[in-house]
Amino acid sequence: MKSEFLFIALPASVLIAPSAFAVKYLTVEQAQQAIFPGKSFTAMPVKLTGSQRKAIQQASGVRVLHDEQQVWRVSSGGWFIVDEVVGKHEFITYAAGLNGDGSVKQIEIMDYRETYGGQIRDQKWRAQFVGKTSKSTLKLDSDIKNISGATLSCRHITDGVKRLLAFYEIALKH
Amino acid sequence: MKSRSSIEIRRCRPLLGTFVEIIARGRDERLLGRGIEAGFDAIARVNRLMSFHDPESDVSRMNREAFPKGVSVHPWTWQVMKAAKRFAEESHCAFDITVAPLLTKWKYLPERCYRFSPNSTSRDIFLRRDYEVFFRRALIVDLGGIAKGFAVDRAVEALKKNGVKTGIVNAGGDLRAFGPAWQSVYLRHPANPTRFAGAVRLRERAMATSGIYFERRKHDRDYVSPLFDGRSGQTVRELISVSVAAAECMVADVLTKVVFALRGEATGLLARYRGDALLLERDGAPSWIFQSPCDIGDRTQFD
Repeated sequence: MKSEFLFIALPASVLIAPSAFAVKYLTVEQAQQAIFPGKSFTAMPVKLTGSQRKAIQQASGVRVLHDEQQVWRVSSGGWFIVDEVVGKHEFITYAAGLNGDGSVKQIEIMDYRETYGGQIRDQKWRAQFVGKTSKSTLKLDSDIKNISGATLSCRHITDGVKRLLAFYEIALKH
Repeated sequence: MKSRSSIEIRRCRPLLGTFVEIIARGRDERLLGRGIEAGFDAIARVNRLMSFHDPESDVSRMNREAFPKGVSVHPWTWQVMKAAKRFAEESHCAFDITVAPLLTKWKYLPERCYRFSPNSTSRDIFLRRDYEVFFRRALIVDLGGIAKGFAVDRAVEALKKNGVKTGIVNAGGDLRAFGPAWQSVYLRHPANPTRFAGAVRLRERAMATSGIYFERRKHDRDYVSPLFDGRSGQTVRELISVSVAAAECMVADVLTKVVFALRGEATGLLARYRGDALLLERDGAPSWIFQSPCDIGDRTQFD
Protein backbone atom coordinates (compact mmCIF):
# COMPACT_ATOMS: atom_id res chain seq x y z
CA MET A 1 0.00 0.00 0.00
CA LYS A 2 1.29 3.39 -0.90
CA SER A 3 1.99 5.65 2.02
CA GLU A 4 3.33 9.11 2.09
CA PHE A 5 4.96 11.35 4.58
CA LEU A 6 5.52 15.00 4.11
CA PHE A 7 6.65 17.55 6.64
CA ILE A 8 5.69 21.16 6.08
CA ALA A 9 7.26 23.73 8.33
CA LEU A 10 4.63 26.30 9.23
CA PRO A 11 5.05 29.93 8.24
CA ALA A 12 6.45 32.11 11.02
CA SER A 13 3.11 33.87 11.51
CA VAL A 14 1.44 30.64 12.61
CA LEU A 15 4.34 29.77 14.85
CA ILE A 16 4.50 33.10 16.61
CA ALA A 17 0.80 33.82 16.95
CA PRO A 18 -0.62 32.23 20.08
CA SER A 19 -2.66 29.41 18.72
CA ALA A 20 -5.88 28.10 20.09
CA PHE A 21 -7.60 24.90 19.21
CA ALA A 22 -11.28 24.26 19.69
CA VAL A 23 -13.72 21.58 18.65
CA LYS A 24 -17.43 21.48 19.17
CA TYR A 25 -18.45 17.84 19.11
CA LEU A 26 -22.03 17.83 20.32
CA THR A 27 -24.83 20.18 21.33
CA VAL A 28 -26.82 19.31 24.45
CA GLU A 29 -29.55 17.68 22.33
CA GLN A 30 -27.05 15.69 20.28
CA ALA A 31 -25.25 14.50 23.41
CA GLN A 32 -28.58 13.42 24.92
CA GLN A 33 -29.39 11.33 21.85
CA ALA A 34 -25.84 9.96 21.67
CA ILE A 35 -26.04 8.62 25.23
CA PHE A 36 -29.76 7.82 25.52
CA PRO A 37 -31.03 7.31 21.94
CA GLY A 38 -34.75 7.88 21.44
CA LYS A 39 -35.45 8.96 25.03
CA SER A 40 -37.00 12.20 26.25
CA PHE A 41 -35.46 14.53 28.80
CA THR A 42 -36.82 16.76 31.55
CA ALA A 43 -34.56 19.58 32.73
CA MET A 44 -34.08 19.55 36.50
CA PRO A 45 -31.26 21.97 37.28
CA VAL A 46 -29.93 21.51 40.80
CA LYS A 47 -28.76 24.31 43.04
CA LEU A 48 -26.41 23.08 45.72
CA THR A 49 -26.46 24.29 49.28
CA GLY A 50 -23.20 25.13 51.02
CA SER A 51 -23.29 21.93 53.03
CA GLN A 52 -24.01 19.84 49.93
CA ARG A 53 -21.00 21.37 48.16
CA LYS A 54 -18.84 20.58 51.14
CA ALA A 55 -20.13 17.03 51.33
CA ILE A 56 -19.47 16.44 47.60
CA GLN A 57 -15.99 17.86 47.99
CA GLN A 58 -15.32 15.60 50.94
CA ALA A 59 -16.70 12.46 49.34
CA SER A 60 -14.92 12.93 45.98
CA GLY A 61 -11.77 14.78 46.99
CA VAL A 62 -12.46 17.15 44.09
CA ARG A 63 -13.23 20.86 44.40
CA VAL A 64 -16.76 21.97 43.50
CA LEU A 65 -16.52 25.21 41.51
CA HIS A 66 -20.18 25.88 40.73
CA ASP A 67 -23.36 25.92 42.84
CA GLU A 68 -25.49 24.92 39.90
CA GLN A 69 -25.46 21.68 38.03
CA GLN A 70 -27.29 21.17 34.72
CA VAL A 71 -29.25 17.95 35.12
CA TRP A 72 -31.93 16.20 33.07
CA ARG A 73 -34.11 13.27 34.13
CA VAL A 74 -34.25 10.64 31.38
CA SER A 75 -37.64 9.13 30.49
CA SER A 76 -36.28 5.60 30.89
CA GLY A 77 -34.80 6.35 34.31
CA GLY A 78 -31.26 7.59 34.71
CA TRP A 79 -29.74 11.03 34.50
CA PHE A 80 -28.06 13.23 31.95
CA ILE A 81 -25.60 15.81 33.33
CA VAL A 82 -23.63 18.53 31.58
CA ASP A 83 -20.44 19.54 33.36
CA GLU A 84 -17.22 21.50 32.84
CA VAL A 85 -13.62 20.91 33.81
CA VAL A 86 -10.54 23.09 33.55
CA GLY A 87 -7.05 21.70 33.07
CA LYS A 88 -3.75 23.46 32.65
CA HIS A 89 -4.20 23.99 28.91
CA GLU A 90 -7.73 22.87 28.29
CA PHE A 91 -11.32 23.80 29.11
CA ILE A 92 -13.82 21.05 28.47
CA THR A 93 -17.59 20.71 28.51
CA TYR A 94 -18.76 17.13 28.66
CA ALA A 95 -21.91 15.10 29.19
CA ALA A 96 -22.26 12.21 31.57
CA GLY A 97 -25.09 9.69 31.32
CA LEU A 98 -25.89 7.87 34.56
CA ASN A 99 -27.99 4.73 34.73
CA GLY A 100 -30.92 4.54 37.13
CA ASP A 101 -28.68 2.95 39.76
CA GLY A 102 -26.15 5.81 39.52
CA SER A 103 -23.50 3.92 37.57
CA VAL A 104 -21.82 5.63 34.62
CA LYS A 105 -23.42 4.72 31.28
CA GLN A 106 -21.38 6.88 28.94
CA ILE A 107 -19.25 10.00 28.79
CA GLU A 108 -19.16 12.24 25.69
CA ILE A 109 -16.96 15.28 25.22
CA MET A 110 -19.17 18.14 23.97
CA ASP A 111 -16.67 20.98 23.66
CA TYR A 112 -12.90 20.94 23.79
CA ARG A 113 -10.90 24.17 23.94
CA GLU A 114 -7.21 24.50 24.30
CA THR A 115 -5.22 27.67 24.40
CA TYR A 116 -1.78 29.04 24.96
CA GLY A 117 -1.04 31.17 27.97
CA GLY A 118 -2.97 31.85 31.15
CA GLN A 119 -6.41 32.35 29.62
CA ILE A 120 -7.76 28.96 30.64
CA ARG A 121 -7.86 29.96 34.32
CA ASP A 122 -9.54 33.26 33.51
CA GLN A 123 -13.29 33.15 34.25
CA LYS A 124 -14.02 35.93 31.75
CA TRP A 125 -12.27 34.12 28.95
CA ARG A 126 -14.24 30.97 29.69
CA ALA A 127 -17.52 32.84 30.08
CA GLN A 128 -17.45 33.80 26.40
CA PHE A 129 -18.08 30.17 25.47
CA VAL A 130 -20.85 29.32 27.86
CA GLY A 131 -24.06 28.47 26.07
CA LYS A 132 -22.70 29.40 22.64
CA THR A 133 -22.35 27.48 19.45
CA SER A 134 -19.16 26.73 17.62
CA LYS A 135 -19.85 29.62 15.26
CA SER A 136 -19.36 32.15 18.02
CA THR A 137 -16.19 30.67 19.50
CA LEU A 138 -12.67 31.69 18.63
CA LYS A 139 -11.80 32.12 15.00
CA LEU A 140 -9.57 29.25 14.14
CA ASP A 141 -7.89 27.91 11.13
CA SER A 142 -10.51 25.37 10.11
CA ASP A 143 -7.73 23.32 8.59
CA ILE A 144 -6.30 22.46 12.00
CA LYS A 145 -8.21 19.30 12.71
CA ASN A 146 -5.78 16.61 13.59
CA ILE A 147 -3.01 17.08 16.10
CA SER A 148 -0.19 14.69 16.85
CA GLY A 149 1.71 15.26 20.04
CA ALA A 150 2.61 13.81 23.38
CA THR A 151 -0.41 12.50 25.22
CA LEU A 152 -2.51 15.01 27.11
CA SER A 153 -3.95 13.35 30.20
CA CYS A 154 -7.72 13.29 30.74
CA ARG A 155 -7.25 13.29 34.52
CA HIS A 156 -9.52 16.33 34.93
CA ILE A 157 -12.40 14.48 33.32
CA THR A 158 -11.75 11.48 35.58
CA ASP A 159 -11.86 13.83 38.58
CA GLY A 160 -14.98 15.52 37.19
CA VAL A 161 -16.78 12.20 36.91
CA LYS A 162 -15.74 11.32 40.47
CA ARG A 163 -17.29 14.59 41.59
CA LEU A 164 -20.50 13.87 39.60
CA LEU A 165 -20.84 10.46 41.22
CA ALA A 166 -20.61 12.12 44.65
CA PHE A 167 -23.11 14.73 43.42
CA TYR A 168 -25.48 11.92 42.48
CA GLU A 169 -25.20 10.31 45.93
CA ILE A 170 -25.70 13.58 47.79
CA ALA A 171 -28.06 15.62 45.61
CA LEU A 172 -29.88 13.34 43.14
CA LYS A 173 -30.49 9.99 44.80
CA HIS A 174 -33.58 10.18 46.98
CA MET B 1 -32.64 7.84 -6.03
CA LYS B 2 -31.32 11.10 -4.70
CA SER B 3 -27.62 10.90 -3.91
CA ARG B 4 -26.67 12.04 -0.48
CA SER B 5 -23.77 14.37 0.04
CA SER B 6 -20.75 13.43 2.13
CA ILE B 7 -21.03 14.01 5.84
CA GLU B 8 -18.57 13.89 8.69
CA ILE B 9 -19.22 12.68 12.22
CA ARG B 10 -16.73 13.55 14.90
CA ARG B 11 -16.84 12.21 18.46
CA CYS B 12 -14.54 12.30 21.46
CA ARG B 13 -14.49 10.25 24.65
CA PRO B 14 -12.08 10.02 27.58
CA LEU B 15 -10.37 6.63 27.24
CA LEU B 16 -6.86 5.19 27.69
CA GLY B 17 -6.12 8.04 30.09
CA THR B 18 -6.48 10.60 27.30
CA PHE B 19 -8.95 12.03 24.80
CA VAL B 20 -9.81 9.62 22.02
CA GLU B 21 -11.32 11.18 18.93
CA ILE B 22 -12.90 9.37 16.00
CA ILE B 23 -13.79 11.08 12.74
CA ALA B 24 -15.78 9.13 10.15
CA ARG B 25 -16.74 10.37 6.69
CA GLY B 26 -19.24 8.97 4.25
CA ARG B 27 -22.79 9.31 3.02
CA ASP B 28 -24.79 7.15 5.37
CA GLU B 29 -25.17 8.76 8.79
CA ARG B 30 -26.42 5.60 10.51
CA LEU B 31 -23.58 3.52 9.14
CA LEU B 32 -21.04 6.12 10.30
CA GLY B 33 -22.64 6.20 13.75
CA ARG B 34 -22.47 2.43 14.06
CA GLY B 35 -18.84 2.43 12.92
CA ILE B 36 -17.90 5.04 15.49
CA GLU B 37 -19.62 3.04 18.26
CA ALA B 38 -17.70 -0.07 17.21
CA GLY B 39 -14.45 1.91 17.15
CA PHE B 40 -14.97 3.22 20.69
CA ASP B 41 -16.00 -0.28 21.83
CA ALA B 42 -12.68 -1.68 20.57
CA ILE B 43 -10.73 1.04 22.38
CA ALA B 44 -12.72 0.55 25.59
CA ARG B 45 -11.91 -3.15 25.41
CA VAL B 46 -8.18 -2.50 25.05
CA ASN B 47 -8.53 -0.06 27.95
CA ARG B 48 -10.12 -2.78 30.12
CA LEU B 49 -7.57 -5.43 29.17
CA MET B 50 -4.37 -3.42 29.36
CA SER B 51 -4.88 -0.82 32.09
CA PHE B 52 -2.19 -0.80 34.78
CA HIS B 53 -4.64 0.84 37.19
CA ASP B 54 -7.54 -1.60 36.92
CA PRO B 55 -6.92 -4.60 39.22
CA GLU B 56 -9.09 -6.81 36.97
CA SER B 57 -7.14 -6.11 33.76
CA ASP B 58 -4.94 -8.69 32.05
CA VAL B 59 -1.93 -6.51 32.85
CA SER B 60 -2.72 -6.55 36.58
CA ARG B 61 -3.37 -10.29 36.47
CA MET B 62 -0.04 -10.88 34.75
CA ASN B 63 1.77 -8.71 37.28
CA ARG B 64 0.22 -10.70 40.12
CA GLU B 65 0.26 -14.22 38.73
CA ALA B 66 2.44 -14.71 35.63
CA PHE B 67 5.30 -15.43 38.00
CA PRO B 68 5.61 -18.15 39.06
CA LYS B 69 2.59 -20.00 37.66
CA GLY B 70 1.56 -18.33 34.39
CA VAL B 71 -1.76 -16.76 33.45
CA SER B 72 -4.19 -16.95 30.50
CA VAL B 73 -4.92 -13.65 28.79
CA HIS B 74 -7.16 -12.31 26.01
CA PRO B 75 -5.76 -12.91 22.48
CA TRP B 76 -5.31 -9.12 22.06
CA THR B 77 -3.18 -8.90 25.21
CA TRP B 78 -1.19 -11.87 24.05
CA GLN B 79 -0.67 -10.23 20.66
CA VAL B 80 0.60 -7.00 22.29
CA MET B 81 2.90 -8.94 24.62
CA LYS B 82 4.30 -10.81 21.65
CA ALA B 83 4.92 -7.59 19.72
CA ALA B 84 6.45 -5.93 22.80
CA LYS B 85 8.85 -8.81 23.27
CA ARG B 86 9.88 -8.64 19.63
CA PHE B 87 10.43 -4.86 19.77
CA ALA B 88 12.51 -5.28 22.93
CA GLU B 89 14.74 -7.81 21.18
CA GLU B 90 15.06 -5.73 18.05
CA SER B 91 15.89 -2.56 19.96
CA HIS B 92 18.21 -4.32 22.43
CA CYS B 93 15.76 -3.35 25.19
CA ALA B 94 15.73 0.38 24.40
CA PHE B 95 12.00 -0.33 24.30
CA ASP B 96 11.08 -2.48 27.28
CA ILE B 97 7.70 -3.07 28.92
CA THR B 98 9.30 -4.27 32.19
CA VAL B 99 10.28 -0.78 33.35
CA ALA B 100 7.19 -0.24 35.51
CA PRO B 101 9.22 -0.12 38.78
CA LEU B 102 10.93 3.09 37.59
CA LEU B 103 7.60 4.62 36.52
CA THR B 104 6.22 3.77 39.95
CA LYS B 105 9.22 5.31 41.68
CA TRP B 106 8.70 8.54 39.72
CA LYS B 107 4.96 8.39 40.50
CA TYR B 108 3.81 8.01 36.89
CA LEU B 109 2.19 4.74 37.93
CA PRO B 110 0.50 3.99 41.24
CA GLU B 111 2.32 1.91 43.86
CA ARG B 112 1.31 -1.72 43.77
CA CYS B 113 2.55 -4.40 46.06
CA TYR B 114 4.00 -6.48 43.25
CA ARG B 115 7.26 -8.34 43.66
CA PHE B 116 10.01 -7.90 41.12
CA SER B 117 13.64 -8.86 40.70
CA PRO B 118 15.79 -5.84 39.92
CA ASN B 119 17.47 -7.16 36.77
CA SER B 120 14.47 -8.64 35.02
CA THR B 121 13.86 -7.71 31.36
CA SER B 122 11.53 -8.64 28.52
CA ARG B 123 13.70 -11.74 28.01
CA ASP B 124 12.11 -13.18 31.15
CA ILE B 125 8.67 -13.15 29.50
CA PHE B 126 7.50 -16.36 27.85
CA LEU B 127 4.45 -16.70 25.66
CA ARG B 128 2.99 -20.16 25.65
CA ARG B 129 0.26 -21.80 23.65
CA ASP B 130 -3.39 -21.03 24.37
CA TYR B 131 -2.61 -17.41 25.19
CA GLU B 132 -0.73 -18.18 28.36
CA VAL B 133 1.87 -15.74 29.63
CA PHE B 134 4.62 -16.86 31.97
CA PHE B 135 7.32 -14.79 33.67
CA ARG B 136 10.56 -16.60 34.47
CA ARG B 137 11.36 -14.05 37.17
CA ALA B 138 9.16 -11.73 39.17
CA LEU B 139 8.65 -8.65 37.02
CA ILE B 140 6.17 -5.85 36.44
CA VAL B 141 4.95 -4.95 32.98
CA ASP B 142 3.29 -1.75 31.81
CA LEU B 143 1.90 -1.55 28.28
CA GLY B 144 1.61 2.25 28.34
CA GLY B 145 4.15 2.58 25.52
CA ILE B 146 2.38 0.31 23.07
CA ALA B 147 -1.30 -0.28 23.96
CA LYS B 148 -2.51 3.11 22.76
CA GLY B 149 -1.20 2.45 19.26
CA PHE B 150 -2.67 -1.05 19.30
CA ALA B 151 -6.04 0.37 20.40
CA VAL B 152 -6.04 2.83 17.49
CA ASP B 153 -5.36 -0.03 15.06
CA ARG B 154 -8.24 -2.10 16.51
CA ALA B 155 -10.58 0.89 16.26
CA VAL B 156 -9.66 1.47 12.60
CA GLU B 157 -10.28 -2.23 11.96
CA ALA B 158 -13.72 -2.00 13.62
CA LEU B 159 -14.65 1.12 11.65
CA LYS B 160 -13.69 -0.52 8.35
CA LYS B 161 -15.53 -3.72 9.25
CA ASN B 162 -18.66 -1.61 9.76
CA GLY B 163 -18.35 -0.13 6.31
CA VAL B 164 -16.69 3.20 7.13
CA LYS B 165 -14.29 3.94 4.28
CA THR B 166 -12.63 7.18 5.36
CA GLY B 167 -11.71 8.53 8.74
CA ILE B 168 -9.18 9.06 11.44
CA VAL B 169 -8.74 7.71 14.95
CA ASN B 170 -6.68 9.89 17.28
CA ALA B 171 -5.86 8.66 20.80
CA GLY B 172 -4.36 11.74 22.40
CA GLY B 173 -1.88 12.36 19.59
CA ASP B 174 -1.29 8.80 18.39
CA LEU B 175 -3.40 8.57 15.30
CA ARG B 176 -4.16 6.65 12.13
CA ALA B 177 -5.74 7.95 8.96
CA PHE B 178 -7.56 5.57 6.63
CA GLY B 179 -9.26 5.96 3.29
CA PRO B 180 -8.25 7.63 0.04
CA ALA B 181 -8.14 11.22 1.34
CA TRP B 182 -5.03 13.06 2.43
CA GLN B 183 -5.11 14.23 6.04
CA SER B 184 -3.15 17.15 7.42
CA VAL B 185 -1.81 16.48 10.87
CA TYR B 186 -0.38 19.32 12.92
CA LEU B 187 2.53 18.66 15.24
CA ARG B 188 2.68 20.26 18.65
CA HIS B 189 5.60 22.55 19.36
CA PRO B 190 7.98 20.66 21.69
CA ALA B 191 8.50 23.62 24.02
CA ASN B 192 5.03 25.25 23.70
CA PRO B 193 2.63 22.35 23.32
CA THR B 194 -0.43 24.50 22.64
CA ARG B 195 1.29 25.93 19.57
CA PHE B 196 2.14 24.08 16.42
CA ALA B 197 5.57 23.52 14.91
CA GLY B 198 4.58 22.13 11.55
CA ALA B 199 2.27 19.86 9.66
CA VAL B 200 2.51 16.47 8.05
CA ARG B 201 0.32 15.02 5.35
CA LEU B 202 -0.73 11.41 5.71
CA ARG B 203 -2.72 8.91 3.72
CA GLU B 204 -3.40 5.33 4.84
CA ARG B 205 -0.85 5.86 7.54
CA ALA B 206 -0.42 6.15 11.29
CA MET B 207 1.61 8.67 13.23
CA ALA B 208 2.65 8.83 16.85
CA THR B 209 4.52 11.55 18.70
CA SER B 210 6.39 11.36 21.96
CA GLY B 211 7.57 14.32 23.96
CA ILE B 212 7.76 15.19 27.60
CA TYR B 213 6.07 18.60 27.59
CA PHE B 214 2.90 17.48 29.34
CA GLU B 215 4.57 14.99 31.67
CA ARG B 216 7.88 16.36 32.90
CA ARG B 217 8.13 16.61 36.69
CA LYS B 218 10.63 17.01 39.48
CA HIS B 219 12.01 13.99 41.30
CA ASP B 220 14.55 14.75 44.01
CA ARG B 221 16.33 17.69 42.43
CA ASP B 222 16.13 16.66 38.82
CA TYR B 223 13.48 16.55 36.16
CA VAL B 224 12.21 13.14 35.12
CA SER B 225 9.78 12.05 32.44
CA PRO B 226 8.01 8.79 31.65
CA LEU B 227 10.16 8.51 28.52
CA PHE B 228 13.46 6.79 29.02
CA ASP B 229 15.99 4.39 27.65
CA GLY B 230 14.99 0.89 28.72
CA ARG B 231 18.63 -0.18 28.81
CA SER B 232 19.99 2.45 31.19
CA GLY B 233 16.88 3.96 32.81
CA GLN B 234 18.21 7.32 31.60
CA THR B 235 15.23 9.66 31.43
CA VAL B 236 14.56 12.18 28.65
CA ARG B 237 14.88 15.74 29.98
CA GLU B 238 14.98 17.87 26.86
CA LEU B 239 11.91 19.56 25.45
CA ILE B 240 12.12 17.86 22.09
CA SER B 241 9.69 15.57 20.35
CA VAL B 242 9.90 12.53 18.13
CA SER B 243 7.21 11.67 15.59
CA VAL B 244 7.13 8.42 13.68
CA ALA B 245 4.85 7.49 10.79
CA ALA B 246 4.21 3.85 9.94
CA ALA B 247 1.48 1.69 8.46
CA GLU B 248 0.30 0.59 11.91
CA CYS B 249 -0.19 2.88 14.88
CA MET B 250 1.25 0.31 17.30
CA VAL B 251 4.50 0.29 15.34
CA ALA B 252 4.60 4.09 15.22
CA ASP B 253 3.89 4.28 18.97
CA VAL B 254 6.76 1.94 19.86
CA LEU B 255 9.24 3.40 17.39
CA THR B 256 8.93 6.92 18.85
CA LYS B 257 10.40 5.53 22.09
CA VAL B 258 13.11 3.64 20.22
CA VAL B 259 14.14 6.76 18.28
CA PHE B 260 14.24 8.77 21.53
CA ALA B 261 16.68 6.27 23.00
CA LEU B 262 18.73 5.33 19.95
CA ARG B 263 18.48 8.38 17.65
CA GLY B 264 20.56 7.66 14.53
CA GLU B 265 21.02 4.03 15.47
CA ALA B 266 17.28 3.49 15.06
CA THR B 267 17.43 3.80 11.26
CA GLY B 268 17.77 0.04 10.74
CA LEU B 269 14.61 -0.63 12.69
CA LEU B 270 12.77 2.27 11.05
CA ALA B 271 13.66 0.92 7.62
CA ARG B 272 12.57 -2.59 8.56
CA TYR B 273 9.13 -1.32 9.58
CA ARG B 274 8.99 1.22 6.75
CA GLY B 275 8.74 4.02 9.24
CA ASP B 276 9.54 7.68 8.79
CA ALA B 277 10.83 9.72 11.71
CA LEU B 278 11.05 13.38 12.55
CA LEU B 279 12.83 14.92 15.52
CA LEU B 280 11.78 18.43 16.51
CA GLU B 281 14.13 20.53 18.61
CA ARG B 282 13.21 22.87 21.42
CA ASP B 283 12.76 25.75 18.95
CA GLY B 284 10.30 23.69 16.89
CA ALA B 285 12.69 23.15 14.00
CA PRO B 286 13.35 19.64 12.71
CA SER B 287 16.91 18.50 13.42
CA TRP B 288 16.68 14.99 12.06
CA ILE B 289 14.46 13.39 9.49
CA PHE B 290 14.50 9.82 8.33
CA GLN B 291 12.49 8.54 5.42
CA SER B 292 12.17 4.89 4.64
CA PRO B 293 13.59 4.00 1.27
CA CYS B 294 10.38 2.26 0.17
CA ASP B 295 7.15 3.83 -1.07
CA ILE B 296 8.49 6.85 -2.83
CA GLY B 297 5.84 9.50 -2.62
CA ASP B 298 6.19 13.19 -1.99
CA ARG B 299 9.53 14.01 -0.45
CA THR B 300 9.95 15.94 2.74
CA GLN B 301 9.75 19.64 2.15
CA PHE B 302 10.89 22.61 4.15
CA ASP B 303 10.32 26.28 3.79
